[in-house]
Amino acid sequence: MIRAILRVVDPETRVRLRRHITLVAAHAVATGSCFVLLLPLLRSLLGGDTGTAGWWLLGYAGATVVTLILRYQASMSGFRIGIATINALHHQLGDHLMTLPVGWFTPGRIGRLGRVVGQGTKDVAGIIAHLLDPLLAATAVPTVVVIGVTVVDWRVGLALVVTVPVMYAVYRLTARSLDAATDAGEAAAAEANARVIEFAQAQPVLRTSGSGGIGRRLLDDALREQDQAIRRRNRVEIPGRIAFATTVQLGVGLVLAVVTALLLRADANPAELIAIVVLVARFAEPVAALAGLASASRTTRAQLRRIEEILGAPALPEPESPVAAAHGAGPVEVEFDGVIFRYPDADPTTTAVRSHDAAHAAALATGSDTASDTASDTASDTASDTASDTGSDADGGSGDDPRPTLDGVSLRCAPGTTTAVVGLSGSGKTTLLRLAARFFDVDTGRVRLGGVDVRDLSAADLAASFSMVMQDVYLFDGTIRENVLLGRPDAGDDELADAASRARVDEIVERLPEGWDTRVGEGGAALSGGERQRVSLARALLKRAPLLLLDEATAAIDPANEDAISRAIADLSGQATLIIVAHRLHTIAAADSIAVLAGGRIVESGGHDELLAHDGHYARLWRSRAEVPGWRLTDAVDDPPADDALDDATPAIYR
Amino acid sequence: MQSGERAPKPADAFRELSAPIRGALTLAATLQAFATIAGLVPFAAGFELAREVLPPGGPAPDHDRLWTITFVAIGAAVVHFVLAGLAIAVSHRADADLQLLLRRRIAEHLSRVPLGWFTETNSGTVQQALQNDIDDMHYVVAHARLDLTAAIAAPLASLSWLFSVNWALALITLAPIAGFAMAQKALLGGAREQMGAVAGAMAKVNTAVVEFVQGSAALKTFGQGAGAHRRFDDAADEYHRVFTAGNAPILRTVSLSTGFVSPVAMLLVILAGGTLLVEAGQTTPVDVLPFVLLGLGLTAPVQTAGGAAAALHSASAAAGRVRDLLAVPTLPEPAAPETTAPETTAPDLAYSAERGLTVEFRGVDFAYRPESPVLRGINLRLAPGTVTALVGPSGAGKSTLAALLPRFHDPSAGEIRIGGRDLRDIPSDELYRLIGFVFQDIALPRATIADNIRLGRPHATLTQMVRAARAAAIHDRILDLPRGYDSVIGIDANLSGGERQRIAIARALLADAPILVLDEATAFADPDSEAAIQRGLSRLATGRTVLVIAHRLASVADADLIVVLDQGSVVERGRHDQLLAAGGLYSRLWQVAGAQKAEEAV
Repeated sequence: MIRAILRVVDPETRVRLRRHITLVAAHAVATGSCFVLLLPLLRSLLGGDTGTAGWWLLGYAGATVVTLILRYQASMSGFRIGIATINALHHQLGDHLMTLPVGWFTPGRIGRLGRVVGQGTKDVAGIIAHLLDPLLAATAVPTVVVIGVTVVDWRVGLALVVTVPVMYAVYRLTARSLDAATDAGEAAAAEANARVIEFAQAQPVLRTSGSGGIGRRLLDDALREQDQAIRRRNRVEIPGRIAFATTVQLGVGLVLAVVTALLLRADANPAELIAIVVLVARFAEPVAALAGLASASRTTRAQLRRIEEILGAPALPEPESPVAAAHGAGPVEVEFDGVIFRYPDADPTTTAVRSHDAAHAAALATGSDTASDTASDTASDTASDTASDTGSDADGGSGDDPRPTLDGVSLRCAPGTTTAVVGLSGSGKTTLLRLAARFFDVDTGRVRLGGVDVRDLSAADLAASFSMVMQDVYLFDGTIRENVLLGRPDAGDDELADAASRARVDEIVERLPEGWDTRVGEGGAALSGGERQRVSLARALLKRAPLLLLDEATAAIDPANEDAISRAIADLSGQATLIIVAHRLHTIAAADSIAVLAGGRIVESGGHDELLAHDGHYARLWRSRAEVPGWRLTDAVDDPPADDALDDATPAIYR
Repeated sequence: MQSGERAPKPADAFRELSAPIRGALTLAATLQAFATIAGLVPFAAGFELAREVLPPGGPAPDHDRLWTITFVAIGAAVVHFVLAGLAIAVSHRADADLQLLLRRRIAEHLSRVPLGWFTETNSGTVQQALQNDIDDMHYVVAHARLDLTAAIAAPLASLSWLFSVNWALALITLAPIAGFAMAQKALLGGAREQMGAVAGAMAKVNTAVVEFVQGSAALKTFGQGAGAHRRFDDAADEYHRVFTAGNAPILRTVSLSTGFVSPVAMLLVILAGGTLLVEAGQTTPVDVLPFVLLGLGLTAPVQTAGGAAAALHSASAAAGRVRDLLAVPTLPEPAAPETTAPETTAPDLAYSAERGLTVEFRGVDFAYRPESPVLRGINLRLAPGTVTALVGPSGAGKSTLAALLPRFHDPSAGEIRIGGRDLRDIPSDELYRLIGFVFQDIALPRATIADNIRLGRPHATLTQMVRAARAAAIHDRILDLPRGYDSVIGIDANLSGGERQRIAIARALLADAPILVLDEATAFADPDSEAAIQRGLSRLATGRTVLVIAHRLASVADADLIVVLDQGSVVERGRHDQLLAAGGLYSRLWQVAGAQKAEEAV
């Protein structure tokens, strides 16, 4: 595990860590040497030679002073290196996260990250500050003692040496079965964790099943499974510990028997042999402590593995010689050229880790989604991320889908035009927007902004090129003003007011007692879903980027505001290139061009009238939408069975 | 300290919660006490051995006696570990019992609190209590009492023996321990203040992490990633600084004082004292041995104390949180469920569905916080076989009103009656069979699609289930999944928001409740599925009492009754035409929506 820590940290910390390990090892060896000095000291004292004992005592005192100085140094440096390692890991993780593609940040991973950065780094520091010393002592002290005893009496030394492999074997054996039981326990705990989150989130739904129904059963099954895993772990751990401790004790017993046999010999030196007995007690202590230390380090090992995983995630390649963005502030051309894209598969992590993450992610996600009017998909979608860490929450295929999410998409959006992307759930609409923003890199083909491949743009140029309103709006735990200003921190008051009025944030600000300075809560939890979308839109408008990507940006907004906002968006025509994923037909109909996605391909594109005339997918979508009947109690029982109607309409598009 | 007069101390909470396993814990402690005594025997045996053979040059040692002592020592060591193991086994078993007991108790309790509690409470809080807090109690339940027993019994027994051997040397041995204990005590006071600052800095790091990580997508798209990165770096450095500053002075004292009681230092004190006393003729060399063998063990109580105190502290805090959760008031259930209600003589679903049930709001007020009422004086009658639509600007209280029906909250004033019975007089199991609801946030449990749809009606036939799924326009999507209806949500069924909503609709349809509450039921649906769903729902709504909240006025224009809410009060009610003619809020909303409709009908 020490090796894993050394592998993870940056070179500078590694050097300091090595020095610290040397110091701790020196302390362990010094401690062992002190113990060895007990031999001659006790031999003279017990032999009645207090004079010689006095001299040895002086020697022992000297060695003790050295040991205590080393101990003090090691303790101080352990603390310093520990906290320095936390700091170094924080920076390393922060730096690396900056280079990862946005698409890497799936809810599952976000959940994992919070824990790794907070608890994980602290655990690693704990190992350095508290566990390193006893771990090294458990090997160094017995080694020195064995050497010392062997020098004084090789027969007892031999007996000690013989016991070591047996202790080691028993230790490995119990540790291995304990590892398995611990893993099983953690998996069961993670499962129970996920069920607990679900229990809280889906409570209204679960309650409909009544007190004897599945709603109660799901959690109770998980709790029972967790209980059984805990008991299984206990059944492995406790006998294992007893076995190990007893083995150590029997080893000591063997040595004691050898001493007794030697005492009974005529040529025995009783004082020396008794001194050895004292020393053997010191030999056994640190070894016996090993069992407890092992379990303490077990959890940290898992955290270390996760840190390594994050630091090992491939960064989004930055162009070596970035091409300057050809466009100025004006609208930009967007071009998808034969794009094939499949969401990267989840990294090879264990099921236990994954379901654990789901729980954490769910905890995090709900933190931001408790507002009653939420428009965000994240909370419940973390469940889907458990299975495939693809980040394809609302749209796009799952990892086991043999078909790519986008399967050869070519689309050109002329500068200053509005392109509406329509299609059923899962057809790849959101993915298309994500690729334009380089959340991921395409597998095949190209995405160009203003004629330049997005992979050839520097991160800064790319970020300056577009702004985006996503389905799952994330606001910072700051004020509304801060959140909107994020779009362009140097914007003046009038620009802010303008963006606010266009996104109807002015209405929110007027209504709230603290106005612009209202804190939005973590993830924007204090605002309703529609309000969050409006703030997010204001932020995007304020930025005045040449490309605006809107993913169902008005889905949660009430009609009065939506109307105003739609007009504001329409006004952008000519000033920016817009790509819009929308369900509302009036938004779609107003677009300059419409692309119909189905199964990862563009099956139709063109203007509204043109597509209606073509009488294909789009026309069918349009008709069914226009026919939405509204809420009434008709004598609909006499209607033709809708089942057939559905069969006609749906499968064709699904396939 | 501050909470002295407010509530019973957290320590009491722990005692209260662990009451069911008190007996087992006492048994474990008793076993541990015996184990501790047995653990001292080998040391005593070592001393006896020495007395047999020392001083050198005495009579030849008794062969049998030496071997007896040796085997007693080995035997006692084994007995020690077996007893200690038994103690641990007993306490861990008790711990497992308590964990399951508490987890079930919390789950059972939470199943009875008002649903509204869950919308106000982060699911993280529930997880904290059910999992983390109970884990935090593990050390105290399974280990603390045993560690404490050992840490007290061993030094007590050793000390009494050591004092009987030589009181002067015993006092000398105690000196470094006393020094250590005093240093610790002095430190604890200062440490507490520092802990606050450190925890504060850590909280800042956590916030920065959350911001940095969760907002990464938003940040990067605004080119502001660097800023959040910098804030995170700053927070990390601040944490580093506070932690270092807070701990440096303590650390020096801690590093020094633990040195005093380290084995090498203790041995130095004992051997120096011993040698001097032997030299002065106050004791014999062999009498120094017990001190060398047992003196180190005397530090156990002070060393255990530090770790145990921290664990006790966190366990008490955890127990306090669990107790608070168990104290959340449950939804009052009728003491004796009213079985002779005016409209429903028996809670027979089929019967109820045919007859339909009238829902009445009478003078209903509701407020989350008394100072800001959300609903004021709502009077509303939802007749069986009709659709009532709730409309109004955002923030008007529509969702809150709808949520009162499934008793997310109880009204602060007034009453809600279903079929003439007050909601509060209907047992919750029955209530949830009477009311089907589809809300905006659809969290589906990780179970098969079939289980999810059949949640409210576990014994529905396959045909019934498929019919419901078709009506909710989700059947074909389900068939596309790898295992069809047996696909598990989140495992091999990754559904979008709209698809989840349709599952919820299918469930509500299958449950066949006489009252349906639909809040934004189609906000996420694709246009064509929305049409299909509304068609299906409209058909199934026949004979039922339906309450709909929808943003798009066009979709509720045909409702039997449209109720316009504004700022928590009903400002208008009537049919579409009447309301348009009245020229009030509704007609204003309609003009906006009408413009859209007109556009769409191009």
